[in-house]
Amino acid sequence: MKRRAIRIPNLGHAQAIILHRPHPTVQALTRQLTAIGLAVTQAWPELGPEALAADYVFFDADMGHDGMFPWEAGHPPIPMIALIGSEAPGRIEWSLKAGAHAQLLKPVGDNGAYSALLIARDAFDAQKALSAEIADLRRRLDERQTVVRAVTLLAARGKSEAEAYAQLRQMAMAWRISFEDAAARIVAAQGGPDDRSQRG
Amino acid sequence: MVVKRRIELGLLFSRTGSYSLISEACRSGVLGAIAMVNADPALDLSFVPVERDPGGNADAYGPLCEEILRDTSARHVVGCITSWSRKEVIPTVEKFGGTLWYAVPYEGFEASDHVVYTHACPNQHLLPLLDWVMPTHGRRAYLTGSNYIWGWEMNRLARERITAAGGEVLGDRYLPIGSREVGRMIEELRFARPDFILNSLIGPSSYEFMAAYRALGLEDAHFRPDRCPVLSCNLTECELPALGQAAEGLVAAGPYFRGVPGWPGAGNFGSSHEAAAFSAVMELARLLAGRAGAENWPLSQLLADRGGIVDPDTHHTVLPVIIARVEGGAFRPIKRWEAVPGDPYLTRSRQVQAPTLRVVS
Repeated sequence: MKRRAIRIPNLGHAQAIILHRPHPTVQALTRQLTAIGLAVTQAWPELGPEALAADYVFFDADMGHDGMFPWEAGHPPIPMIALIGSEAPGRIEWSLKAGAHAQLLKPVGDNGAYSALLIARDAFDAQKALSAEIADLRRRLDERQTVVRAVTLLAARGKSEAEAYAQLRQMAMAWRISFEDAAARIVAAQGGPDDRSQRG
Repeated sequence: MVVKRRIELGLLFSRTGSYSLISEACRSGVLGAIAMVNADPALDLSFVPVERDPGGNADAYGPLCEEILRDTSARHVVGCITSWSRKEVIPTVEKFGGTLWYAVPYEGFEASDHVVYTHACPNQHLLPLLDWVMPTHGRRAYLTGSNYIWGWEMNRLARERITAAGGEVLGDRYLPIGSREVGRMIEELRFARPDFILNSLIGPSSYEFMAAYRALGLEDAHFRPDRCPVLSCNLTECELPALGQAAEGLVAAGPYFRGVPGWPGAGNFGSSHEAAAFSAVMELARLLAGRAGAENWPLSQLLADRGGIVDPDTHHTVLPVIIARVEGGAFRPIKRWEAVPGDPYLTRSRQVQAPTLRVVS
């Protein structure tokens, strides 16, 4: 599968929140983010509702816990970047569960923030697109039974299964709806569509 | 007359190798500024140059910069030409708390706490150049570059800008640094017939390409510079001797061209490379003047309360933008903007965003 093109976000005046106790790492990260053009605020020990207006959250992976975010654990509505000092497996596991899309190692120095922003944004977008696609596929899976019933109804009028299937596809195209929705329409009409409705 | 304190100043330029002409231009800018500072009776400092020559080898820059910062008292180093060498030096200046003054156009997307950028970044060269060429010559482009970050990133940004303007990129082709194999590019151009060419090649590759392109123009009028010009953000007067007749009609963007008054103030410079290196040293002298011991301060402290040309957030500078065409062996300005602040991440100046295209499946 071809990878979708990366979108370079416009970071001018984007809002970043650093959830970390006051520390030189916060200063170094603030310097980087300000140079890039973001507006930066610092929060500790937890994120207030203002986080919902932010575009990026950098959070301390070393002292973090689920209660520090104003959203359901693991379901951040914006890209999240973990600030990792201790590379202990338990802390990395927690960062991932919290929903980290990228990471930056502490101590933060002269660089790294820009790539973390881009990678987090891309991972966040990809996750969102995949979730939407999975939800759509799941819905279509659930409707398999409807499709089988619609094909059976069409085939009952003397068509082969392949012909019935092709007819259903044509109907969906003519009605400009999905295959599954067309099947649902036929099943709902019980006994199949009025063939005359397809003329003209 | 005030007593002058002697301050060692590092110089890190390759005087041999494929981009030595640019090194020499920057080096004369530095030496010119040092001479002026040392002769100024009102300044309480003089600079003592400490030179190292990496000889065009990217891997030599880090160790030689370390030698300057470790073995001498110099905290400030002027130098590097390629972005590749600059990236090699940054960890070293960071480690020793030093500062690199970088006086060459580059591709942006950097704002090190330990670097001052005194030449242009894309909102000061590439973007104005594209904004000029597309209405003037057309929107069908061919992109060339040397195979490293400068060529890649310039062409990526050019593609983004051209596509957003409704234009088209007909091809992009890269050559290893130092390669003269331009035949394939010329063959592609013959078929692609673009409206303009963006040349982000460096050194001998660029000289060879320009010569071959001039020959193509003599053969086919479409490729004459008035119809399909070559654009550059890195060619200046310092490389005109290597280009000769092949430079005629070249259109370049930069903060300075020979004889243009204004920036960087006093003096007449051979090229913008020389001017940007000169202005780096003059600005450093101004920041150090009257502050004994300031030569050991970190850059952030040095920039904190004295104003000047360096933006304390981005460490980039405000520069004029001039678009100029080579006519009769010299650059003639054709368009000029005053005082454009460097915007390395294109977050401050870019108003118009490319339309987000939805993927239709």
